[in-house]
Amino acid sequence: MSLEPNFLFTQLLAGLSRAMILFLLSSGLSLIFGVMNILNFAHATFWLFGGYLTYSLFQALGGEGILMLVLAIILGSAAMAVFGFVCERLLIRRMYDRELPEQLLLTFALVLIFGDLIKIIWGVEDRAVFLGIEPLQMFDTFVNPYYFVIITVGVAVAAGLWWFLQRSHYGKIVRAAVYNRDMVSALGIRIPLIYAGVFALGVGIAAFAAGVFLPLMPMALGVDISIIVECFAVVVIGGFGSILGTFVASILVGVVYAFSVLFWPDGALAVVFLIVILVLIWRPWGLFGTEMRF
Amino acid sequence: MRDQMNDHKWSEFLKSMDRREFIRTSVAAGALVMAPRVVSAEAKDAYRLGLLLPVTGTGANYADGAIKAVTNAVADINDNGGFLGKHPIEIEYRDTHTKPDVTAREARDLISRAKVQTVVGTYSSACALALQEIIHENKVLHLAATSNSSKIVNENFTPYTYQFCPNSRMQSGSVAVALATLAKDRKWKQYVTIGQDYEWGRQTQAGFVRAFGERAAGVKLTKDLWFKLGETNFASYISAIMSEKPDFAFGAIAGKDNRTFMQQAQAAGMFKTIPYPGGLISVTELQQQAKSLVRGMIGLARCPFFAHLEEPLMQKYIKMHRAKHGEAAYPTDWACMHYDAIYGLQQSIDKAGTIETEAVKAALKGATLKTCRGTHTFRECNNQLDIPAGYVGEVKDHPDYPFPIYDLDTMIVVKAEEVWVPTCEEVKKLQKQRA
Repeated sequence: MSLEPNFLFTQLLAGLSRAMILFLLSSGLSLIFGVMNILNFAHATFWLFGGYLTYSLFQALGGEGILMLVLAIILGSAAMAVFGFVCERLLIRRMYDRELPEQLLLTFALVLIFGDLIKIIWGVEDRAVFLGIEPLQMFDTFVNPYYFVIITVGVAVAAGLWWFLQRSHYGKIVRAAVYNRDMVSALGIRIPLIYAGVFALGVGIAAFAAGVFLPLMPMALGVDISIIVECFAVVVIGGFGSILGTFVASILVGVVYAFSVLFWPDGALAVVFLIVILVLIWRPWGLFGTEMRF
Repeated sequence: MRDQMNDHKWSEFLKSMDRREFIRTSVAAGALVMAPRVVSAEAKDAYRLGLLLPVTGTGANYADGAIKAVTNAVADINDNGGFLGKHPIEIEYRDTHTKPDVTAREARDLISRAKVQTVVGTYSSACALALQEIIHENKVLHLAATSNSSKIVNENFTPYTYQFCPNSRMQSGSVAVALATLAKDRKWKQYVTIGQDYEWGRQTQAGFVRAFGERAAGVKLTKDLWFKLGETNFASYISAIMSEKPDFAFGAIAGKDNRTFMQQAQAAGMFKTIPYPGGLISVTELQQQAKSLVRGMIGLARCPFFAHLEEPLMQKYIKMHRAKHGEAAYPTDWACMHYDAIYGLQQSIDKAGTIETEAVKAALKGATLKTCRGTHTFRECNNQLDIPAGYVGEVKDHPDYPFPIYDLDTMIVVKAEEVWVPTCEEVKKLQKQRA
């Protein structure tokens, strides 16, 4: 094994890109749980559905060029956000007063239903976007330039979510609703619309993430089930409901995983879940979560 | 043909074909599932065939062609009255989700409730091994035409399983034969492997390392990487391979993961510095990655149609496939092997003169069958068909197809006898004793 700085750099880059992929997917999951107390097991399935939808939109727009892909991603995310809004109004809102197992049952049913919908609409073949990305030569080795796109988008979404929740008027209402729903309601603010909006935002971010991933990986049936496990690990480590926690946990998981692959490949995934176990023992509400949420 | 159908149109064609085909197949399968009790009352002489393949999970991409092939072959045989001209075939399809527990559950249901006489499947070797326990217990025939862990015919052998696909030892052995020559020519000293962390991946990697070690003893394995099935991001693995600076990398990767890995490895520049010879590049990959596959890359296929265009059965499959799914639709490796399985069953039933399971099993034992890969015989001691162990070739554009194929002038076809467990005595030592 070569421990030259250039290879350590590419490993770090690989870890950060993995981290941002996890963050983009987990942030919506965490946001929805943090605000609405809903554990959405179907989150990754909505992500996958959004990816297929974006793929179709891209093909409808000609199937070539980065600009068309960006347009398809925007349209796909918007469509999925609208879907998220409707889904919350029709289904999710009925779950607020239910126990966690019932929430999981409903959202798992959505996993199965949307999995079948994907089969009916798109068939069973993988769907990928080919942009002809050429490797970039850096420090005497090659890297995938798209890693930089993923990292930039991840950081931008993190900053955007932080600004939205901490600085915007709507974000302040959302935060207030987390702490005292009745008081916010007494001020004449329609809580159900706030919740629907948050769910729409979470699903929209998931679809956005899927669109961004399309040139890197094909959308395929079953990928959602595979990836949701890692997302839960991230959210548990970071703390349910904490966007900052999700961001930090994503970087922790992504980078630890990347270097584990380099130094102890057989135990890479085990190391990640070892961290989850330690966090659950030491701080069950996560690194940046609060006991209230736990 | 390339002029008439460019890559984009080809992709569009595949999409529309899948949607239509999926709905048609679903409706047909649904109707069969809903009506078995009615049908069985009316068609006492029907032959019930269980089909266990995934339309979910990492194997779905390959199973699509296999499902089409079984459906087409059954329709063709039924047009002539079914097996022996009087036993129409009824397909009972179940999705394995590429999971052994689901496979076991569905297999039990197929046998106990649907009363199937033969099970065709599965995609995953882990699923096949789970299935074997059930078919042996219930004395039902099993035709394996994609799942190919060598354990299926060796360690986990049952006389009810017949293997139409080169097993993982044969497959990785064929790559070892080809790469040993390359290693000598290019003076390779070290290599790394990367594989899917499950039964097939482990078996394939172990088979390659053993066979390659026997033929190129001086070339050392410096690292073996394993990833979970369904991995979406290979960035860490790719940079770990590159940091090792091997002379080549060997991959034991199939299905959706194979496509993802190659797509990401190419974009990360791995193929610019490290050869990746012998990775699975079947007709599925050649068709679906027509644009992105690096020309000149050395791939491995299990049953590529273009290697046997002179065979009458291959001509029949191609004609049937294109007639059913469109002029540009060529059968994948998985489709061809499943056509062979169904027509192989038909040949054995013809020989037995009955559809009774034990008689058909006896007819299959050591049978010589006409296949799309020529005339081949089941090995007496483990029911492995002696079809070519692997096709190793260089990816190259061809004017007759809208996707690249292998360079037919340099393609290496390795015979089964060169790489399978050498003697039946050795095979028998591996096989477990069953009740």
